[in-house]
Amino acid sequence: MTFPRIAACLAAGAAALWGQSPAGSLNQPPNEDLYLYHSVPDILVRPAGKPAMPLSELWRERPLLITMVFTRCAGVCYPFLRSLRTATESAGKPPSGYGILVLSFDSRDTASDMKAAAAGIGARADEGWIFATAAEESVRRLAEATGFWFRWDGERRQFDHPAVLLAVKHGRLVRLFTGGRIPAESLGAILRDLAGGFVPSYPLADKTSFRCFQYNAATGSYSLDWGAVLLVLPGAAAFLAALLTFRPWRRKCARAPFQAA
Amino acid sequence: MSSPTSASSAATPRLRRNTMLWALLAMALFLVSTLLGLFLRLFQGNSFPAVEPVWFYSALTLHALIMVGAWFLGSMAGVHYLLSRYVRPSSAISELAMGGSVVGVVLISISTLLGKFGVGWYFLFPLPLYPNGAWSPWATIVFFAGLAILAVFWLAWVLDLLRAIARRYSLSMALGWHILRGAKEPEVPPLVLITTVSLVVVTAALVAAALVLALFVLHGSGRANVDALLMKNLTFLFGHIIVNITLYLGVAILYELLPAFAGRPWKTSWLVAFAWNAVLLLVLFAYLHHLYMDFAQPRWVQVVGQTASYFLSLPAAAVSVFGSLALIYRSGFRWTMASRLLVCGVLGWVIGGIAAVVDATVAVNSVFHNTLWVPAHFHTYYLMGVVLMVLAFFDHLSRELTGSDTDVPAAGWILSLLLLGGYGFLAMFYYGGATSVPRRFATYPEETLQGVIQARVAAAFVVLLLAALVIYLSRMAARCLRAFALCRNAS
Repeated sequence: MTFPRIAACLAAGAAALWGQSPAGSLNQPPNEDLYLYHSVPDILVRPAGKPAMPLSELWRERPLLITMVFTRCAGVCYPFLRSLRTATESAGKPPSGYGILVLSFDSRDTASDMKAAAAGIGARADEGWIFATAAEESVRRLAEATGFWFRWDGERRQFDHPAVLLAVKHGRLVRLFTGGRIPAESLGAILRDLAGGFVPSYPLADKTSFRCFQYNAATGSYSLDWGAVLLVLPGAAAFLAALLTFRPWRRKCARAPFQAA
Repeated sequence: MSSPTSASSAATPRLRRNTMLWALLAMALFLVSTLLGLFLRLFQGNSFPAVEPVWFYSALTLHALIMVGAWFLGSMAGVHYLLSRYVRPSSAISELAMGGSVVGVVLISISTLLGKFGVGWYFLFPLPLYPNGAWSPWATIVFFAGLAILAVFWLAWVLDLLRAIARRYSLSMALGWHILRGAKEPEVPPLVLITTVSLVVVTAALVAAALVLALFVLHGSGRANVDALLMKNLTFLFGHIIVNITLYLGVAILYELLPAFAGRPWKTSWLVAFAWNAVLLLVLFAYLHHLYMDFAQPRWVQVVGQTASYFLSLPAAAVSVFGSLALIYRSGFRWTMASRLLVCGVLGWVIGGIAAVVDATVAVNSVFHNTLWVPAHFHTYYLMGVVLMVLAFFDHLSRELTGSDTDVPAAGWILSLLLLGGYGFLAMFYYGGATSVPRRFATYPEETLQGVIQARVAAAFVVLLLAALVIYLSRMAARCLRAFALCRNAS
């Protein structure tokens, strides 16, 4: 690397340091670190075809996974719900140890809209899945407590919002997953967390470069990743430097008698 | 190729002059760093309630870096000088390293003292990038610039010493592999063997440091989101090895100097060659014991860490300690301040080494991790180990160069005071570790208030240590200055 390039990199680093802002962008998904172990408000929800009940009734017996959607969504909601449905197939179906609440944040959604959404992903007959609506104010309270946000985009006639999965145990948020789809491994790790199991690591929301290891939450096993190559690099470079340093002298002036100055 | 008894044989006036300069620089930095250490313990003893804790952390950062840097350079200077009996390292590169080191130390001092940069020596990712008002963002850049300069100039010096060894020895010969195969000839001095092992390994540490800095720049510039576990691994690969190798360079000096007092040669036997090749094999993995609490690291990595830590320490220490005792026993050993410091240095290495192995045991580490036990063990083998070994070299050489026959006045008293102050201070660290007092806390929470009293007692012992150092180092500095003047006139 030439000097100007190194200088450019250092300058870029310096600029990034000065330009840091403590607050993230408004369009970012919620940051799990900011909401973990916070209490989830005990709002009143209206499950489709059932009487209204407080959320605490749902998490009293078993941990609860909550995802927030709107039924007219042309974007992430249905792909996310389908991926959640698929993930439960391999990670363990509800109600075996947990329940899933699909809550609409759109005040236009009705019980029949929610039933249709349940049918759309093949979960209508599944008692572990609860499709519900709630009062606008209740939804806002839940959203504020968990970092979830939604904004009406009049031009597209759609809500702009992230896809999230909230894992709640005894009324506290213990995991917050964000992303367009949820892999079975991630759901497996969340369920293990909810069951009181130990999850040594899980991927962060941002894409991380040069990981040392990849952890498979489904099997609990590790595999080496490219970062491990960087870990070996210093040792390899040192031995190579030693070989290169010794090699030319060995050929030309090996064991030359030493003359003290 | 037997060891000459005089430390100054084969050295040019320029090399002697440079070595005296290194001695003065190391001693000055040592005194400054010890004063910072006293400030830290007084702070933990609640002696400065009006001072903001941020000053504690910036002083902690500067204290650690100066202490490690000063003695890495001191031991490198000692090895460079002693190697000149067998090979011819470049004085110009050593002078360049001195210039680079001064610039690096100045930059790090600016970032910590003016910029209040206080993330600790290990600048653990991503903390330096998130000042959050505690320090100025420019201090991070100045700090990393200082580190980068040190890494570049130190690497140049390390590679030059390797080049010098390579001009006379093949790699397998310098590593004593022919001795491992059963051959007796050609003889390879232990100094050459241990230095070769140490320099190869320290090259890896400096490459790791360069990688860490590059990854910080990548992350800071938003070009990549770097894996925190990788950064911690690389940071401790660098930091652990630098400290470890400083000790081994001190031991290399021990192997070369001790025969001068015993009047017997210390040759590279099969056991010596085996022990130091084991170091070469294992030292790159021992740092893993710093990551026992990082549960994201697979279990087999932790097993490698504990195994490497055990087998790294035992062969080299056993061979060197028993070798020292065998060399001294019934040899008519000449007891001077320098030789006493060497022997005390071995004692510090053993005590600190045992404490280190205890803490490198996973089951113990889960209790002792980040308690005062950790600074206890590394201060023991550093302050009471390698520092004494390198001071012994400077003392011995400055005496030779000035033609002085006698030790500094009241050498016995000074040494006693130094040991009393040093081990008293260390005892408080060990006691703190055993009573669960956390390290790196500016002020202690209610649960560990016993740390306050311990810090006050430790500070009293540091005052004794400092008194001994001021008396001893001021006299030795005067002798080094005399030697420097004599060498300058001779050249």
